[in-house]
Amino acid sequence: MDPFSADGELTTLHTYFHQCLYPAVLSYDLSPLSDSNKLPATILQLRAHLALNQYSEALSVCASNKGKVDFDAVAICARYMQAKDRGDGSSVTKASEEASALATKEGDNATVQILCGTVLAGTENEDEALELLSRHQGSLDAVALIIQIHLQQNRLDLAKKEAQSARKWAQDNLLVNIAESWVAMREGGEQYQSAYYVFEELAQAPATQSVKSLLSQAISEMHLGRLEESEAALKQAAELEPENELVKANQLVLLTLAGKRDEAAKAKPELEKSGFAQDLAEKKKEFQAACERYQPKFAA
Amino acid sequence: MQSPNMLTKFESKSSRAKGIAFHPKRPWILVSLHSSTIQLWDYRMGTLIDRFEEHDGPVRGIDFHKTQPLFVSGGDDYRIKVWSHQSRRCLFTLTGHLDYVRTVFFHHELPWIISSSDDQTIKIWNWQNRSLICTMTGHNHYAMCAQFHPKEDLVVSASLDQSVRVWDISGLRKKHSAPTTMTFEEQIARSNPNQADMFGNTDAVVKFVLEGHDRGVNWVAFHPTLPLIVSAGDDRLVKLWRMSETKAWEVDTCRGHFQNVSACSFHPHQDLILSVGEDKTIRVWDLNKRTAVQSFKRENDRFWVIAAHPEINLFAAGHDNGVMVFKLERERPASAVYQNQLFYITKEKHVRSYDFSKNIESPSMLSLKKIGSPWLPPRTLSYNPAERAILVTSSADGGSYELVALPRDATGAIEPTDTKRGTGNSAVFVARNRFAVFTKSNQQIDIKDLANSTTKTIKPPPGTTDIYFGGTGCLLMITATSVVLYDIQQKKQLAELQVNGVKYVVWSNDGLHAALLSKHNVTIVTKSLQQISTLHETIRIKSATWDDAGVLLYSTLNHVKYTLMNGDNGIVCTLDQTVYLQRVKGRNLYCLDRYAKPRILAIDPTEYRFKLALVKRNYDEMLNIIKTSSLVGQSIISYLQKKGYPEIALQFVQDPQTRFELALECGNLDVAVEMAKELDRPKLWTRLSLEALAHGNHPVVEMTYQKLRSFDKLSFLYLVTGDKDKLRRMAKIAEHRGDTSSRFQNSLYLGDVQNRVELLKELDLYPLAYLTAKSNGLSEECESILEATGMTEDQIKLPPMGEPTSIPKPIVPTFTSPWPAKVTSTSAFETALLGPGEEDVVATNSEDLEDEPVELEEGDDEDAAGWDMGEVDVDTSEDFINVESAEAGAGSSEADLWTRNSPVAADHAAGGSFETAMQLLNRQVGAVNFSPLEDRFMEIYQASRTLLPASVGLSPLVNYVRRTVNETDSRKLLPTIPRDLEHITTVDLVAGKTQMRTNKLEDGVRTFKGILHDVMLNAVGTQSEVSEAKQLIHTAAQYTLAMSIELQRRSLTGTSTDLSSFSDETKKRALELSAYFTVPEMEPNHVTLALFAAMNLAHKNKQLSSALSFANSVIEKGTNAKFKESARKIKAICERNPNDTLEIEFDQFAEFDVCAASYTPIYNGSPSVACPYDGSKYHQKYKGTVCKVCEVAQIGAPASGLRLTV
Repeated sequence: MDPFSADGELTTLHTYFHQCLYPAVLSYDLSPLSDSNKLPATILQLRAHLALNQYSEALSVCASNKGKVDFDAVAICARYMQAKDRGDGSSVTKASEEASALATKEGDNATVQILCGTVLAGTENEDEALELLSRHQGSLDAVALIIQIHLQQNRLDLAKKEAQSARKWAQDNLLVNIAESWVAMREGGEQYQSAYYVFEELAQAPATQSVKSLLSQAISEMHLGRLEESEAALKQAAELEPENELVKANQLVLLTLAGKRDEAAKAKPELEKSGFAQDLAEKKKEFQAACERYQPKFAA
Repeated sequence: MQSPNMLTKFESKSSRAKGIAFHPKRPWILVSLHSSTIQLWDYRMGTLIDRFEEHDGPVRGIDFHKTQPLFVSGGDDYRIKVWSHQSRRCLFTLTGHLDYVRTVFFHHELPWIISSSDDQTIKIWNWQNRSLICTMTGHNHYAMCAQFHPKEDLVVSASLDQSVRVWDISGLRKKHSAPTTMTFEEQIARSNPNQADMFGNTDAVVKFVLEGHDRGVNWVAFHPTLPLIVSAGDDRLVKLWRMSETKAWEVDTCRGHFQNVSACSFHPHQDLILSVGEDKTIRVWDLNKRTAVQSFKRENDRFWVIAAHPEINLFAAGHDNGVMVFKLERERPASAVYQNQLFYITKEKHVRSYDFSKNIESPSMLSLKKIGSPWLPPRTLSYNPAERAILVTSSADGGSYELVALPRDATGAIEPTDTKRGTGNSAVFVARNRFAVFTKSNQQIDIKDLANSTTKTIKPPPGTTDIYFGGTGCLLMITATSVVLYDIQQKKQLAELQVNGVKYVVWSNDGLHAALLSKHNVTIVTKSLQQISTLHETIRIKSATWDDAGVLLYSTLNHVKYTLMNGDNGIVCTLDQTVYLQRVKGRNLYCLDRYAKPRILAIDPTEYRFKLALVKRNYDEMLNIIKTSSLVGQSIISYLQKKGYPEIALQFVQDPQTRFELALECGNLDVAVEMAKELDRPKLWTRLSLEALAHGNHPVVEMTYQKLRSFDKLSFLYLVTGDKDKLRRMAKIAEHRGDTSSRFQNSLYLGDVQNRVELLKELDLYPLAYLTAKSNGLSEECESILEATGMTEDQIKLPPMGEPTSIPKPIVPTFTSPWPAKVTSTSAFETALLGPGEEDVVATNSEDLEDEPVELEEGDDEDAAGWDMGEVDVDTSEDFINVESAEAGAGSSEADLWTRNSPVAADHAAGGSFETAMQLLNRQVGAVNFSPLEDRFMEIYQASRTLLPASVGLSPLVNYVRRTVNETDSRKLLPTIPRDLEHITTVDLVAGKTQMRTNKLEDGVRTFKGILHDVMLNAVGTQSEVSEAKQLIHTAAQYTLAMSIELQRRSLTGTSTDLSSFSDETKKRALELSAYFTVPEMEPNHVTLALFAAMNLAHKNKQLSSALSFANSVIEKGTNAKFKESARKIKAICERNPNDTLEIEFDQFAEFDVCAASYTPIYNGSPSVACPYDGSKYHQKYKGTVCKVCEVAQIGAPASGLRLTV
């Protein structure tokens, strides 16, 4: 059973992690935990390092525990994320291969499932990732990943099914709520509102406020057409982390949505390297290519 | 402590009420007054039914008989009267008491009356033989009250001697019951009456004397089932006594009244005691704990008596100024319906569910014993399916709510473990994990999450009394005079409707409509709170539920009724007890009764289904109903007639008279004739003749005239239809009848002169006969007349005569058949009724029913063909189904859906399919040059995607922003388009016009071109917006053109008005351009600007003729007073010498457009081409180039027109 489930010792830690309160995860005192829970807790802390882009910290811990499957999995993921941040394509491929290998060997290990699943999903091996993750035994993290992969593949129906079955056994667990909200954001209609409630609850309680939750709230508001409210939430997020690329990207979307052309034009260059900017740049090329098909004549 | 749940149902105003009695079945109450009157009230309708005034002085005791139409009264005139409320008179009077009679009661089965009196005795009377059968003595002060035991042969009495006595009257029963089986001892006892005491009282013996009150005892009563007695006395105490076979003892005392207690009673069903006193209070006590449960105080009136209804939860108390009827608690069980399940709270405060699909009641799921106070049932229940939780409110402690999770399986009444509670008057779920709590005292609504922490606070409108769910994320707030729809998210009021006193809100199953129930009104509204219909009921409305077809069923105190959306209503069934409707499914109406038990009422929905089908013109359904059910009745017929469907009503009627009326009304002569024959009454024939005449159906007219024996009319009818034979027969008939004037008439019609002359001769009217003969040239006849009269021709003076008129001959033998009248088309309904053999007819005749949809479809296809040039694959189905059925693999993204769902270029751009977007634009507006649209494309694309951070290490989830926010059907999803039409008109258009006014023309041209580009890639919802957009394109194009012309002029000569330094050619061109500047359509004040500039330039450069014409225009059209002033001056100057020094190409009188490329005139009639997008005109030679105005479209390209709606 999942050691993070509602009655487990690690509930708080797990909740912190998914509320994105990574510093709180890292400063969590592991000493009073029972021995069987120490390992999952440590892995969770390592994942918090990864979330904070502190790869070297994670890697050094893993190095000193080399040979233990869980730590190896973390190490692979850390290397993958590091490589991805640097745009180092060959390292990414290498990490993917490592992940695949470890998955075949130790596919029943929950840590391997989650971390290697992440790497595989991130390197376009979604089917392999799904196969690996489906072997989970009551791990909500795995379920959340599965849902996200389904959504990335635009399989709303499967994502929904997964969320529903998770809701049955995990009930009101925070992660289920969040994952359900991801699904809801795709589904739309009244579901937007439910997603908004979940995100807003997280974002507006001072204890659980984080950039991610604020951003999620802002996005749900954008989808609901409440641009002003969304702007306020985004501003809050930007105050917390002015350099966060996702915040900037969504700010650009919001400005565009609101028809604020000049401000949007100003915001765009700030986005240099991010995936969103790359996508836009690609689209621009596509546009110019499409223009080529027409040969306008101009009068003198 | 005023209790909030003493629910007063009726109050009367009168003098002091001393006695009260409920009728056991009808909603009646008898009140005996200190003023000698007895009143009979209907407390449900609030009307006084009758008054009985035969007593002399106050009437203190009163009682209804349980089964007979009788009641008894006793008063200060020492008399006991027995009345019939049917014949409304006193039947007889029982005399024997020697002082005031205090109370009178009927025995529950024997024909006995018990009375207590100030003469210290209690007497038992037989009202059948009107005799006194027993006198019970023993009290040594006034006997204030005496009652029979409800089952046993006991009597209890109270007296001012401070004692309560229990009497055994079994002896009396034996003595007076029929001598069936009599034991030997009894026979001895009966034969030995001497062994009785000195007063002969063996019949009633004192069993117990209860002492404990230390003042006089005013009232005493037995418990309906338990061996308990309650008494009330002047010592301000209510005492509870228990008795066994052998003894009786005091159990406890209820202390609290601070004045004499006048009367007391046990609650008929619950463990409660009620008492009233001169301290102006009604108090309710817990029977088991003897603690006060609640109390109700009246300002000024002392209470004298209390009575409980034997069956229903109703009480009445009499006071100094009348009577009040009240309930102790609400009987409406708290309940909520979700899909096929009903959740409700039983009288034991257990939560149960009921499954409508299986008709199964679950065992108890939860016990709410601990919620609220023990004597208060929960008020409302709200159910949250997502969390499987309920929210229960109770009015205890000034209002409180409790959030409880339901267990997964119903295993019995377990105590809830984890509950959240708080104070508030109403609480409802508003979303999956939010609920709203309303507190009346501080007028505040808190939105709370499931952890019970407040996330939002809302101030409702002042005077709010209740809140209800108002659709997702919305609340309905109820005030005394209105209902307000409030959006919790946006924190704003969406709508308000003036409706008085709404108490309940019932949503339809599809959530589109709601019924607002007030005490006497039902108002049906849409989900946006627009009123659809309203109806009034004189009887109190209790509950309502929606049929799946949109019919509202509602219950009053005694009926279940229905109402359609259009307000048509009627009765479904009558009720013998009040129920609260929950759900209707087929012929079953599910409801909860006052004991919170689910009940199923079988109803006949035929009538309202039929009416609904009629309203919706669903003839098949109607036919089906007629065939399968017996739908005959006066109400349906008159309904159909009233609603203008006589031909349908005709199908239901058997009664010939009604059939005749209906047949006339719908013009069905065949039926009318048939019925008239059957009835054969002159009046009907007359009416039929009129109707047939109006139809031109002369055979029917003829028949009716024959029936009516209207010979003259008949003759005339034959004349006009040209039926000579019949006319001749009419002449014969007239002769036969000896009706000379008719004969004359007929001979006139027939042109039969001979006959006429004969007739006149017969009547000895020889002069007329002669004249007739003479004028028709019958000389022989003339002579014979002269002969007969003995006169000669000379003696007669004749006026000059012309030719005899000849009778015109009928040209068309109309009589053979009636004129072809317009075929009365049999209604679709009738043809349908004819049966399956005639189905072809139905198909062809019922055009408006069946052909229309077909046509519509065709229309759609054509439309589709129209934008087929969009060629964009709209074949949603195949791929789409694939996606759903496939087991694994990636699906298509929402962006792909957008391009499939829409033929609008902007939607394709948003979907990222730039190529198809361009193709669309190319076909729609001939767009070829897309580079000016690059920013717009990118803008739309980047506004339609948000990036939602999800799991660590994975890329964010892309979500697609929709303009169809409420849509979930993937075939209708559409992207949001930034800078919509409203934005453009309110921001950009205004900015552009400002730039025109402030003379920033370069910026202006840019703005208007931007508008043209933004509109080209845009989407709107309605046709009116489409035309608005078209107008906007035109305006922007005109302004762009105007500004470009002026800019061109400035590039030649700058802003100086003095052109003397330039060459003639430049000068000429500048003057022309300034003239053309005035041509494009702009706002009047902008045109004025152009005219003024042109006038000044022309004037300065001695173009006085042009200047004059501009000046005239300024004066005529100008919007600026100053400009007009100077125009007048210039006009004055120019008029002296209206000549231009330089000839320019500008004819002020000619109509022309300005070519947007060369800025030269295109006169009306000369060849030109236009931009397919903005409509700017060009000389022929520019065909095929890119439009100078929009810079996108190709001039003269074939185009189908811009598409902005899906």
